[in-house]
Amino acid sequence: MALTTDDVRRIAAYARIALTENELAEMTAYMSEAIKLFEPIRAYDLAGVEPTYHPIGGLSNVMAADVANKHGRSLSVDAALSNAASTQGKAFRIPSILGTAGGDQR
Amino acid sequence: MKKLPDVLRDWEAVIGLEIHTELTALETKMFCDCRLSHTAPPNTNVCPVCLGLPGALPVPNEKAIECIVMAGIATNCEIMERSLFYRKHYFYPDMSKNYQTTQGPVAFCMHGHLDLEVPAQEARERPDFSVRKAPDGSYAVPIRIMRIHMEEDAAKMVHVGGGEGRIGGARESLIDYNRCGTPLIELVTEPDLRTPEEARLFMEKLRQTFLALGISDCSLENGSMRCDGNVSIRRRGTAGVGTKTEMKNLNSFKSLHDALAYEICRQAEVLEGGGDVRQETRHWEPSGRRTVVMRVKETADDYRMYPDPDLAPFDLSDEFIGRCRSRVPELPDAKRSRYLTELGLSRHDADQIACNPMAARVFEEAVAIAREMAPLIANVMVNIAPTAKAITSRQVASLARLLATDALTFAQAREVAEMVDGTDEDPETVVDAYNMRQSTDIDTLAPIVDDVLATCVSQVRQYENGNKKVIGYLVGQCMKAARGNGNPKLFNQLLLEKLGV
Amino acid sequence: MTRLDQLSAAQIASGVAAGAFSATEVARASLDAIEARDAEVQAFLQVSADLALKTATATDELRAHGAKLGPLAGVPVAFKDNMNLQGTRTTCASRMLEGYESPYTATCVQRMLAAGATPIGKTNMDEFAFGSSTESSAFHPTRNPWDAARVPGGSSGGSAAAVAAGEVSIALGSDTGGSIRQPASFCGVVGLKPTYGAVSRYGVVAFGSSLDQVGPLGRSVTDVAIAMNALVTGGRDPLDSTSQDVPASFSAHLEDPVEGMRVGVIPALMEHESIAPDVRKGLADARAALEEQGAQITEVELSHMASAIAAYYVIGPSEAFSNLARFDGVRFGYQEPGSATLAEQTALSRAHGFGAEAKRRQLLGAYLLSSGVYHEYYYPAQQVRTLITEDYRHAFARCDAILLPVAPTTAWHFGEVNDPTQMYASDLFTISLNIAGNAGVSVPVGSSPASGMPLSAQLQGPAFQDANLLRMARALERGIAKKGLHMPDTVAPAFADRGGEL
Repeated sequence: MALTTDDVRRIAAYARIALTENELAEMTAYMSEAIKLFEPIRAYDLAGVEPTYHPIGGLSNVMAADVANKHGRSLSVDAALSNAASTQGKAFRIPSILGTAGGDQR
Repeated sequence: MKKLPDVLRDWEAVIGLEIHTELTALETKMFCDCRLSHTAPPNTNVCPVCLGLPGALPVPNEKAIECIVMAGIATNCEIMERSLFYRKHYFYPDMSKNYQTTQGPVAFCMHGHLDLEVPAQEARERPDFSVRKAPDGSYAVPIRIMRIHMEEDAAKMVHVGGGEGRIGGARESLIDYNRCGTPLIELVTEPDLRTPEEARLFMEKLRQTFLALGISDCSLENGSMRCDGNVSIRRRGTAGVGTKTEMKNLNSFKSLHDALAYEICRQAEVLEGGGDVRQETRHWEPSGRRTVVMRVKETADDYRMYPDPDLAPFDLSDEFIGRCRSRVPELPDAKRSRYLTELGLSRHDADQIACNPMAARVFEEAVAIAREMAPLIANVMVNIAPTAKAITSRQVASLARLLATDALTFAQAREVAEMVDGTDEDPETVVDAYNMRQSTDIDTLAPIVDDVLATCVSQVRQYENGNKKVIGYLVGQCMKAARGNGNPKLFNQLLLEKLGV
Repeated sequence: MTRLDQLSAAQIASGVAAGAFSATEVARASLDAIEARDAEVQAFLQVSADLALKTATATDELRAHGAKLGPLAGVPVAFKDNMNLQGTRTTCASRMLEGYESPYTATCVQRMLAAGATPIGKTNMDEFAFGSSTESSAFHPTRNPWDAARVPGGSSGGSAAAVAAGEVSIALGSDTGGSIRQPASFCGVVGLKPTYGAVSRYGVVAFGSSLDQVGPLGRSVTDVAIAMNALVTGGRDPLDSTSQDVPASFSAHLEDPVEGMRVGVIPALMEHESIAPDVRKGLADARAALEEQGAQITEVELSHMASAIAAYYVIGPSEAFSNLARFDGVRFGYQEPGSATLAEQTALSRAHGFGAEAKRRQLLGAYLLSSGVYHEYYYPAQQVRTLITEDYRHAFARCDAILLPVAPTTAWHFGEVNDPTQMYASDLFTISLNIAGNAGVSVPVGSSPASGMPLSAQLQGPAFQDANLLRMARALERGIAKKGLHMPDTVAPAFADRGGEL
């Protein structure tokens, strides 16, 4: 299955990675190449083979008790915000989600 | 636009609900040990896990899993032996990892149902008779539940600069991650509901069930229980599937009903006008009493779902499920029927008490004290002290006993109930302290009756001339003479005797 | 005068405990060695001198108060820069996280500190661990201490180089498809990828959650074993749902003989066309070293190995896309200034914060997980994973460990391998192990007659038999030393006499 630049453009839009036209062309070539690498897994008859999502054998039902802050991981609000580029008051700030009417939405 | 009953004569609505319930009974979040709170200042109940910091890993809250299994048992679901958490990806910063940890095709609880009994009074919206109606118009339908799955809630966003805090036109938005990671169970029904009233009743019934389980405070107002509805319509008598629209912001029972009613009428108008219903998500505006388009769904969303590699699979043991089963209390339906058949309550009182876990607890404790007075105890719960906040079973039993012995009028009982609510005082003591006890001693009451008959000559004559209503006045005079401590029922009886009836 | 890099981790810890030298002196020696050597090696992204000295002082105070010191007391340790350590930055060698201050500490780091280790700094890596040469670091390359014109391998290239250059005694790395073993091999040090679940992943920035595993790199199997003891002490980590209990008994039977133990070889792989002649020689020496100690060589088969690269490059990028989705510039990380809308801010922050390989893997993952495509590649890849796991199960029924190359070649020159899919192919001998979750270790077995570059062999063992695997690795190390091909505790010769006096 060869991918077109339009396919890759849509994937990049979904994955929120802006690509220049050059990058888009490079990425399309790379992804098509990579997909060729995957052909061996399509060579087997896999009917009835269960997938292995976790390489951990019989591990299951791992749970934790409902006890507040038992690991002392709670962050102060200042620590929580300390790595954020934009904050306002005690909250994380993001720009307009839908774009302001008449704004410079590109 | 036509009215709903008119529309429903020609069209049949097909309604499904998706109901999200926050497990507010828990102390901590779904995948970390941050405290759950609706009131903490922004971003104060956060840690590396719920902020999605690089390197943080989730660990499921055991009690949350117990709660969803209890919810599944209470709604007749199959508890799946093996299930997995999945990652559901969408880029939106209210999910700190840009994916939501939720469940895949197999949820903890699958294939359940709740039986919906629609009382006569509420049955008016269903003109068809595809269900068997009782002579009084009431009917019952089973509503299938597709699944209940476990997931995590998103953060709260405040949109600034647009109108009324709306996202449209907002200059910026502020995010508070306190709610991010709150344990949420999502119940999805099959499209088995046919009227807005049924949808409302289903939601109410589910709320009562979850309240009885004690897993959530189920507050629609505070958003700890939230409902989305989808609806399509088809010509009566046909089996086709119409294009459905999805309704958001149904945050009260009234909104749920009214939004669905509006949407059914709107769709009927579109179709009758020769148009097509578009598949879209609509937002209910209670102020305008209408739904408006949020977004049109052209293609199905692709969430890139896949099993979360950070979370081990679940193989719930019989022992685990058994433990959850043992924690499921008697549910409202079972309580109601027991109250009716074993305790002789009226349908109305049984309904009222069975669906309110607090009331049911007080009632049952009071019945344990004085089982023979169960209907009277119910009467006290429903009619004497319906608004009491902290009345005890002992107090309720005591009030019932005072009423049973005619030592108190209903009006007085209400007063006493109000006085003892929230205290540990025995109504008996209060009645005596305030000298409210109705005398039931004939030897004390008879002379008073004699005096009143001797004094009120003209009223006695009116009575004898056929004005039977005057008896009320005479009882009043007796009560006055007894300074309120005579039993009006007994005075009435004595007066009638002496007047020779 | 002793030089720090002449001492093993155990010797440092016992010296500190005995008062032969203080933890502070050791820390200063390590910092001094870095001062003298790292301008050339560039193994570190951050040297946490203040934190190191503060920790060492605390260790010395403990000793002064008569407290019992941990098994790694005063041992200078470096951490790959995808491991959170409060008081340091954790950048994953990415512009995306440039300046990101760790708000918490990873369990693996915490456990090394609990054992008394001194945190010297954070090491360079391929950006977000995507790579096999450390060339994709956004900040600078790391040079191979054996030949500065060559790469140190990757993605834990900084950790391997720091240990090989004698700057620290032990470094932690993470291995998703060979990222501990391959740089260990390129730099001539011992590197263990433990069984998946043996070491907590909590606090280690995730690449492929079902493949990632943290492990130690050291100049001897003994040092690696001591580090493993520290990493598993405390039992399973309640903060990592996939971690499991492992007894801290890696040193107890390390010196036990291996006579009668069975070493599997896979003829088809040992003779794979991609394997360079010098690597073949190293493997032959390794085989002889084990045989001479009475180990029995037996042929085994991993019949689905051919599809391991394919399965790996489906599962890895899919998990990577998902794990890296959180880097949107809102809560942390690079944020594009002046964006009018959220969508624009997110897309440009990710476009400018991530390097080329990080973008490639994420877009590939986003494609592989999309509906329709999921059942073409992702689902069958997880089925193939079952087959590969089964292959290993059968193989380990017939042997205690499998002898393999680590990489087809010794360290290559900078810029020599620049086609991404060509670089993926060099992971052939390491990735099947991550797919199955088993343990593997890279052990130096000499140097290339042609280039003088280190040669290594890989031993792979069954899940949760890591201690037994290290016992076999120690036997290999012993046998190779006996042959005079490589001595444990060797520091890359160009750096051995530069700074670091104690």
